[in-house]
Amino acid sequence: MEAPKEQSAAERVKELMLKAILEGPKKTTAEKSTETAKGVRRMVKGLAQKAHEARARGDPIAYLFIASFYDDILRAMDIATVGTENYAGLCAAKLDAERFLSKAEAEGYPRHLCTYATCGLGFDAMRCELGGMPTDAPDGGMELPSVMLGTGMMICDPRYKWYQAAQRYTNAPMHILGLLNPPLYYTHIDLKEVKDYYIKYVVEELKGLVDFLERQLGRKMDWDRLSEVVNLSERTIKLWYDTYQLRKAVPAPMPTEDALNTMVPGYFNMGTQEAYDFYQELYNEIKYRVDNKIGVIPDEKYRLMWALSLPPWYGLVLFNYFESLGAVFPIEVVYHPPVPLEIPASITNPLERMAWRFYDGMTHWYEKAQKNSRNPFVEWFMELIEDYKIDGVVFHQARTCRTIHCGQLHQMNVLKRHSDIPMLMLEGDIIDVRNYDEEATHDKIDTFIEVVDTYKKKKQS
Amino acid sequence: MTQGLIKAEQIYQNRDRRAKELKTAGRKIIGYLCSFTPVEIITAADLVPYRITGSMKESITLADAYLETIACPFTRSCLDIALKGGYDFLDGYVVPHACDNIVKLYEIWTYNIKHTYAHFVNVPHTLSPASFEFFETELGTFKRSLERFSGREVTAEALSRSIQLHNEQRALVRKLYELRKQDPPLLSGTEMTKVIVAVMSTPVTEANELLKAAIEEVPARRDGLQRKPARLMIYGTGNEDTTFIELVEESGANVVIDDLCFGTRPYWFEVEVSDNPLAGIARSYLEKLRCPRTYRESPGSHQADLENRFGHLYQFAKDFKVNGVILYITRYCDTHAFDAPDVKEYLGRKGLPVLEIEGDYPLGGIAGVKTRIQAFLETVS
Repeated sequence: MEAPKEQSAAERVKELMLKAILEGPKKTTAEKSTETAKGVRRMVKGLAQKAHEARARGDPIAYLFIASFYDDILRAMDIATVGTENYAGLCAAKLDAERFLSKAEAEGYPRHLCTYATCGLGFDAMRCELGGMPTDAPDGGMELPSVMLGTGMMICDPRYKWYQAAQRYTNAPMHILGLLNPPLYYTHIDLKEVKDYYIKYVVEELKGLVDFLERQLGRKMDWDRLSEVVNLSERTIKLWYDTYQLRKAVPAPMPTEDALNTMVPGYFNMGTQEAYDFYQELYNEIKYRVDNKIGVIPDEKYRLMWALSLPPWYGLVLFNYFESLGAVFPIEVVYHPPVPLEIPASITNPLERMAWRFYDGMTHWYEKAQKNSRNPFVEWFMELIEDYKIDGVVFHQARTCRTIHCGQLHQMNVLKRHSDIPMLMLEGDIIDVRNYDEEATHDKIDTFIEVVDTYKKKKQS
Repeated sequence: MTQGLIKAEQIYQNRDRRAKELKTAGRKIIGYLCSFTPVEIITAADLVPYRITGSMKESITLADAYLETIACPFTRSCLDIALKGGYDFLDGYVVPHACDNIVKLYEIWTYNIKHTYAHFVNVPHTLSPASFEFFETELGTFKRSLERFSGREVTAEALSRSIQLHNEQRALVRKLYELRKQDPPLLSGTEMTKVIVAVMSTPVTEANELLKAAIEEVPARRDGLQRKPARLMIYGTGNEDTTFIELVEESGANVVIDDLCFGTRPYWFEVEVSDNPLAGIARSYLEKLRCPRTYRESPGSHQADLENRFGHLYQFAKDFKVNGVILYITRYCDTHAFDAPDVKEYLGRKGLPVLEIEGDYPLGGIAGVKTRIQAFLETVS
């Protein structure tokens, strides 16, 4: 029997284009490489279904943000959750965000606000106006929350302003935790001077959340159960992290477009056996691919890193475009698993363990940065560039996000002082496809790949 | 114009001159952003706090290579001036965590502009007991860092003295605002902004003298304002430049009160005087300084929430006999933009006409803005 012929890059392009034509003009998501990543869509639907069922039973539902560091508390109290940013991403991927964005604009929220937020606000406004779910809402829509849980200072301003604005449509009680970012950019602070009171503050704020939930929902926290959940989360984070270490292999066994799916259990379903089992399955699959040298594309020429940038959820197919040019993304900074850290065994209180996880995760690169680049993110980039044998770094500037996407130029400027690696800045948005120009994006990518090619040849010579 | 106002005008036009003179005389100047910087601690360390601003008169030519154009244009302008050497006279730089925009600015500024001292003060967004305790401790870290920089201990007595001086300043500013309750007001919005900017640019004792002079002279001024049908309040972010307020006043309104960063906001509260000065500063800044960046928990219904968050605006409107409000929000100021529909609803229910203008920095499309203001004034009068 004749062995299957290796597919060339040109053939791969042809195949992808044909697939796009057959699927019609609304192709937004990227083709995945791993079977485990393909299964994430089922999990997302399952999470939505859990919220629908909770609503039908009259059980509580919480709106929450990705990577809020307090998911364990909700799991321990059996509270169904709706990840509101996740829902906006889903709407964008289905090219069904515009009606919600337009509604928010009509309500007075400017177009340049975070489009996760305006998509959510538009949805809430519509559900409020209709007295029920908007027609054909993806995955049955976001259920009306019993409570909304935001954070102050942790990641971004919309994390407290969005839900505060949404109260006019949901009338749901909200709680904001003061999760302060520990020092990231100080230039003269010894962490020993601040660590104790930062951790103490997080512990107190987590206690405040438990009090709020008990008061609002009439449920009591089972502290033993919380300890079990925290323990499970810690094991899951370690497994997730170890799984991603396998991605250092050449050829790359799993690309960024898969990771944009495989982050879902970690960021929206942490503290569950389902999440742990998912990463075990992913570990096994990636290990198999590494052992058998199964790459994302047959002829991997360039290895790129997706920097600290939220992706254009309506246009993830762009990763396949990179692949058609022989470039693959073995790793990404965004939605990376937290670094598993050694929390002293003497810390047994689950809230304290959560606080340590939060604090240590946020300060992991601080001291190294003080001695070198003075930028913790750039330190992380440099580690990944070396470990994953990266030939180029791609940023994406989402025009409506002032948290992650302001400061990218600075990261590029600092990285340039420490490395000659080629860098590309794409422009678009997270949710609003009106801010995206696919043709211009492809032109930029074409040029960038030429630069990466020259860089790589120079490096090899 | 009175001598106090003339002096304020002179400082406004050349606002870094006094700071540079003081530097030459051996004083150390600490530049800071935002009303949440606890200036009391800087003064207590025998350092001179100096409020950093952008400039509408200067095009942004350097900052775009360092900070994205999706960032607040005011912060981009501040950085641009710094990159051009406009803030080289500063010995130190302090930024509080007020909003995402200035957090990013701190990172980029401290990397590219080399001051001897830089410090970032984490300010909680919530009013929980733990937030007050945290903020007090964080202010202790700030105090110690200033002590290391200045080489002198900041004693409780020095802090208490400084609190008294800054409280006196707040009281004087409020007294000057009182003169705008009359009809016509004795002081225009443009003049008031210039006084505020002058106060923010000079050491507290000198600024207090300037305020006292203005308060004494203004009631006797002969070049007073005309009575106009519209008495307006301006709410929003604001900035040090008077272009927008002048435009409103030229269009046929008297601006009589504001809730702006370069207006009432840093002055409409007092720091509690207690045996623990840092606790007093923490409590007062967090609880009493009204800014959308501080989350105030809803007491229950939506209406109660609006009352809790914006009740002070209606109080202003009543006290200053306001008959219209302009929301003047700098583009990309997310914390204000998220609040805008709620503010409009609240004031609308109170029977106050509201115009929302999203402004750039520098303010662009002036003719269009003026037309909108004029049309609005027809509904107010």
